Amino acid sequence: MRTNTVVKNIIKPNQSLGWKRFTKQKYLHFFVWVGMLFLLVFAYTPMFGILMAFKNYSITTGISGIFTSEWVGLKYFKEFYNDYRFYDIVRNTLALSFLKVIFTFPVPILFAIMLNEVKNMAFKRFVQTASYLPHFISWVVVLGLAFTFLSSDVGLINKLLVSLGLAEKSIPFLTGSSYFWGLAISTAVWKEAGWWAIIFLASIAGISPTLYEAAQIDGAGRLARIWHITLPGIKGTVVVVLILTIGSILGGGLIGSNFDQAYLFGNVSNNSTSEIVQTYAFKMGLAQGRYSYAAAIDLFQSVISVILIFSANYLAKKTSGQGLF
Amino acid sequence: MLKRKSVEDVVVDVVIYLVLSVILFATLYPFYYLLITSFNSGKDTLLGGSYLWPSSFTLENYAMFFSRPEWLTALFVSVGRTIIGAVSGVLFTCLVAYGLSHKDLMFKKFYFVVIIFAMYFSGGLIPYYVVLRSLGLLDTFGVYIIPSLLNTFFLLIAISFFREIPQELKESAYIDGANEFTVFYKIVLPVSKPLLATMSLFIGVGQWNSWVDSAYFVTSDSLRTLTYRMIEIINRSRVPQDAIAHAAGSGVTSYSLQVTAMVVSVVPILCVYPFLQKYFVQGIMLGSVKE
Repeated sequence: MRTNTVVKNIIKPNQSLGWKRFTKQKYLHFFVWVGMLFLLVFAYTPMFGILMAFKNYSITTGISGIFTSEWVGLKYFKEFYNDYRFYDIVRNTLALSFLKVIFTFPVPILFAIMLNEVKNMAFKRFVQTASYLPHFISWVVVLGLAFTFLSSDVGLINKLLVSLGLAEKSIPFLTGSSYFWGLAISTAVWKEAGWWAIIFLASIAGISPTLYEAAQIDGAGRLARIWHITLPGIKGTVVVVLILTIGSILGGGLIGSNFDQAYLFGNVSNNSTSEIVQTYAFKMGLAQGRYSYAAAIDLFQSVISVILIFSANYLAKKTSGQGLF
Repeated sequence: MLKRKSVEDVVVDVVIYLVLSVILFATLYPFYYLLITSFNSGKDTLLGGSYLWPSSFTLENYAMFFSRPEWLTALFVSVGRTIIGAVSGVLFTCLVAYGLSHKDLMFKKFYFVVIIFAMYFSGGLIPYYVVLRSLGLLDTFGVYIIPSLLNTFFLLIAISFFREIPQELKESAYIDGANEFTVFYKIVLPVSKPLLATMSLFIGVGQWNSWVDSAYFVTSDSLRTLTYRMIEIINRSRVPQDAIAHAAGSGVTSYSLQVTAMVVSVVPILCVYPFLQKYFVQGIMLGSVKE
């Protein structure tokens, strides 16, 4: 960081001329302020809006109503806690989040390692490019594809299972409550594994080829080379991605989109396993107009998320010396 | 090295090629199946059996799709929000990034704290909805564009990109009497074309795929997007009778129309997505390890 101290030494004498420096940068500050104004309106105002979770807020009073409405303390939190669906919803949120991380996190790593072992460059590039196509497809299209392949009446996989005699009748993948978590995990893997493999492939590409040559001369086989060179080589990247994932675990990790999945794949029949905190808050708020209650439910999840972000950050700093902030 | 392949080598190769081929098939076949189904008569599809090519080739589905006013409007809205959203998002994000990219900008630390805090914490959907409502954005086209003007992920990438632009390029313009806005417009943007291209594609794809805003922030039929109409028709074809009984007299079913809409939604992405992985790795690293 020598350049930094040099810059500081040059700037220091000018610091007394703060106003002059500021006016010289006035356009730059204007650009930045436009951005700050945007964040104030669309990021920070909603943060203050959280207050409505502790108040009897009515939507007709607009933004100022958030501050002027009457305080009700923890009323809505207690109501959520006593909601007959509270247990189910919290269980679903946690189960979906943790299961998804456990099952989806290793897949891109394995996939990247396998791709790296492919010597035929054309095949490698083709598989890799194809694999991250689903990442850019809307969850709505994935819902349509799931309908095409998994539904009880037109679903191709169901037809196949029945005709091969592996199932007696169509399996209700999309409507059975016992299938929802599996459905969410497998569609998440299908959609995102190829995309997250990119980052691990980049990390593998950074490993020096001489290590592999040396190991080969020492008689290490393919698997031994993967185990002793590739895996240790990408450890740093794996840790960083894991921290980021844990920080956003309740949203579904980096693989993301618990909300999209629970909302789009959720229906009356699998409701008992597909309703999560976010979708419930969404329905209470936007569908039923119970804004304060919905904000309280949302805040409940945000508090847990913040705790997770800070613990992930703390753990990261302890174990690898680098953190998110 | 003229070494014979060991048994281990062969086994590893076979397993890897096998697994990767399965992955390749599982990724691409669904899209291929959509494509052939969209060119197959809807009634024929319901009978089953067309898995490799359309057994009863027809353009009826597309003819129906492009003649229905609700689909045409949805397509128009989706294309509109994609183009306008991408252009405005890129320009806005780059402008803010340019301001922040100056190494000796005053209050830089403060600005960065504001941005990073906003990246990690949010007020949640309900207060956000209240803000949109108070601004009068609900049920307007603006609700697709204005709240997504600033993209914090690309803000960080653009800042680091702009920092790499040689200072001399800008210096010469300053000497000619150009102000920051001119420098941004005439020098910084033109030399950042690769960044701008990736950014606009990325933001554009996000706009194209977005569905929550169209489902909940607008109510007029004239503002619904393609994604919204797809949700609608998918939920409708969940009822089997309805999947069959669509448009008497033609071979088009609600299901074949749904598949056609899905193809229309996927094809533009198929054309651009290989260009979108640029900056991704760098962006993740920027997002995780900040100065």
